Amino acid sequence: MRKRYKRSFEEIQKIVADTEQFFAQDNIDESLRMKVDLSLEELFVNMVTYNTETICEILIEMKPIDNGIEVSLTDHDVNRFDPTASGQVDVDAPLADRTPGGLGLYLVLKMADSINYEYHGRTSKITFTNKVAEADV
Amino acid sequence: MFDIDFNNSGAVVVSGRLDAAQAPKAQEFLDRVLDECIVDMSALEYISSAGLGVLLKTHKRLMVNASQLRLINVNSHINDIFRYSGFDKLFIIDTASS
Repeated sequence: MRKRYKRSFEEIQKIVADTEQFFAQDNIDESLRMKVDLSLEELFVNMVTYNTETICEILIEMKPIDNGIEVSLTDHDVNRFDPTASGQVDVDAPLADRTPGGLGLYLVLKMADSINYEYHGRTSKITFTNKVAEADV
Repeated sequence: MFDIDFNNSGAVVVSGRLDAAQAPKAQEFLDRVLDECIVDMSALEYISSAGLGVLLKTHKRLMVNASQLRLINVNSHINDIFRYSGFDKLFIIDTASS
């Protein structure tokens, strides 16, 4: 699957529908859906929210891998932002110290089995994988 | 698709997918809650950090007056998100099986 999406939260519904279709067509294990949906949304929302210097559409690609799926999001004409270098959230902090911000990328790093960031020529590409645990295969 | 409403018992019932596009709708509704409140999540299929932020903001506001949100009928997938986020230490959560 290779599709481009406008820089709008309203596109999340389309992304979910396209992901569902890809899982069905390529027989991806449904147990991975929640993790993939969550990581995709968090990374897409992060690009839309913070990469405001560009008007380019965001490219999402998916391909099947052994026992799982590889997903990438590519954003053109943007500054460097490496999500793998962020995501520090103190989830043990008391309520008074908790804020809504920062949880998204933290969850991506928790959910993904692997995540990789590339930045070349003002293009950011984030690739993550999710696999079924070997015991479940 | 996401929906939020009160049921006949006065609990807030949420259903569908609470994502970044739907979070403002949820926040607008929960901003009207002024007291202790049960949130029935039996029909909630998905929640992202945007939805977690709505719950956290509302919970913190209510706690100022010694009230809180209590989350019930939480499915195992969403409960995993709550655990990863540390929300299991901040909220009273009843899972669907408990």
